[in-house]
Amino acid sequence: MSVVRALYAKPWIWSFVAAIGVWLVTIAFTGGSSAGGLAQAALTFAAFSIIVGIGQMFVITLGPGNVDLSIPATMTLAGTVALKIMDTNDSLILVGILVALAIGLAIGVINYGLIKLLRIPPIIATLSSSFIIQSAAISYNRGIRIKPPAALAEFTTATTLGIPNLAYFALLVSAVAWVALEKGIYGRWVSAVGQNMRAARMAGVPVDGVRAGTYLVCAVLASLAGLLLSCFSGGAALNMGAEYLLTSIAVVVIGGTAVAGGFANIPGIWGASLFLFLVVSMLNTYGASAGIRLLLTGVIIIAVIIAASRSPRA
Amino acid sequence: MKNLVVLTGLTILLTSTAMTSTTMADTAAKRIALSNNYAGNSWRQAMLQSWETITKPAVEAGIVAAADAFTTAENQATEQAAQIQNMILEGYDAIVVNAASPTALNGAVKEACDAGITVVSFDGIVTEPCAWRIAVDFKQMGKDQLVYLGEKLPDGGKLLEIRGLAGVFVDDEISAGIHEGVAENPKFEIVGSVHGDWAQDVAQKAVAGILPSLPEDIVAVVTQGGDGYGAAQAFDAAGRDMPLIIMGNRQDELAWWKEQKDASGYETMSVSIAPGVSTLAFWVAQQILDGQDVPKDLVVPFLRIDQDGLEASLETTPAGGVANVEYSLEDAQAVIAAAK
Repeated sequence: MSVVRALYAKPWIWSFVAAIGVWLVTIAFTGGSSAGGLAQAALTFAAFSIIVGIGQMFVITLGPGNVDLSIPATMTLAGTVALKIMDTNDSLILVGILVALAIGLAIGVINYGLIKLLRIPPIIATLSSSFIIQSAAISYNRGIRIKPPAALAEFTTATTLGIPNLAYFALLVSAVAWVALEKGIYGRWVSAVGQNMRAARMAGVPVDGVRAGTYLVCAVLASLAGLLLSCFSGGAALNMGAEYLLTSIAVVVIGGTAVAGGFANIPGIWGASLFLFLVVSMLNTYGASAGIRLLLTGVIIIAVIIAASRSPRA
Repeated sequence: MKNLVVLTGLTILLTSTAMTSTTMADTAAKRIALSNNYAGNSWRQAMLQSWETITKPAVEAGIVAAADAFTTAENQATEQAAQIQNMILEGYDAIVVNAASPTALNGAVKEACDAGITVVSFDGIVTEPCAWRIAVDFKQMGKDQLVYLGEKLPDGGKLLEIRGLAGVFVDDEISAGIHEGVAENPKFEIVGSVHGDWAQDVAQKAVAGILPSLPEDIVAVVTQGGDGYGAAQAFDAAGRDMPLIIMGNRQDELAWWKEQKDASGYETMSVSIAPGVSTLAFWVAQQILDGQDVPKDLVVPFLRIDQDGLEASLETTPAGGVANVEYSLEDAQAVIAAAK
């Protein structure tokens, strides 16, 4: 009983309840025969939202006004450049990964530079940098689609013991993030800055360092996700990151992280990412028209957020 | 290389001089602007490149004084309306527009017309009556897919439909054509429909999500372009038999088709509009400025690739690009004559 009550009190439980509920409704359509395939597809595609979502979560936790809108452009640029450099060559995979990470680091530095040195609000700063990044991706190869190296394509599309490799990777990223957030000093600092920046500064938290580090982490995770996505889908496209702008924010919010900052939540990102993929699959399966689908998606998301915000915050 | 460019330029100069010797003087001082709402995919990139390929020599040859391309940063009608207003102020003689919305730009387009500017819309057309429209018969494009399937699969069967971006006129039109085709050919049945947003990764995700719930015996996938390769990847990942997937002229789709054709004799067809339609719009604008009588509604032909033409098309399509055709002045005159 106390386990149930303890679970009930977790803000992230609702995203899992919603994900499992939607999954059950979807597989009911085929009498359960689609259970395995759907779960596998959900884990695969949720992995991308989880990776970018964790980065966005740290940024949002920094407090009101903090959000990274350059995630889609970062994904596109990292995927495009890394694939062009690897040029389907397995021996250049390490170089490609390093290049993608370097792009992420550079974008993180630029983003925080705009925010700190030029005192531009984060929303405007990351939005304007995303135009520059996207333009860089366009001028770099004008939408030319280059196939990923065979080994990377194989890794991103394969499963191990029935679970997609991408899900293991997302799990690894989540585990590291969880340790940093819950057990490490970094997590305390991020939460402290998000709850009250002045108090944090007076308490000796290196506020600028924490904020800079967080924008860096977010951009690096986005570039990693961009590389994985372009390998998974057989090449980078100029518009490939577009849907992750809203998704990265939605999974954070649905997952029970406080929009106003100060409280982060990693398990919820998993529930929310699975849920967002499954809800579209469910409505497609039942043949809902696009209008109804968007409407229901909105209604369900609002319901989950209300449910999550009612549970007492620990 | 340089010689080649000079030579090509010279050839174009010579042929165009010969061809338009009577009309050249009339548009030599005219300036044409391209108002484009989006550049973030390979089709739009090819469209802009075609524009440059054709208009640059035309400007150098003195057929028109300028042909500048402008693209808005966000795919927003309001931003494009402002862009058109700027073009009016800058005094262009004609504006060629690929519109973000068929209706939301009407106000700006009307202002341009009132200022005596010729407005030619293409691909994303505008409904404002003073503008010319170079439209694609998208409905027919959907219907043709069913005609092809009817011949290829006489027994009919279950279909998966991949649609485009919800709420966009083109998506409704193509889908309506597909459904009309199914109604006329009741051996086929659409058992699932997803929105792929004309993007490969979105289509892959949507198809992967619905596939587990679909019956095993899907015979074909009807599409709108840009989504075929993603659908193929989703079927592959689910370990399903590969259905006949209609392609949309993207190089990755054609390359995949070629691989399958060589491996197992896979047959399909591919249809879309050539991004070079921007160049058709350019010549139409030039003809209107030249004082020619041009009907307000023109229709562009589709670019269709069949089994036999696959290799040739694949060869001329740049890696990562879209199968393309650039239009010449004669092509434009032929399209105008056909509409009269």
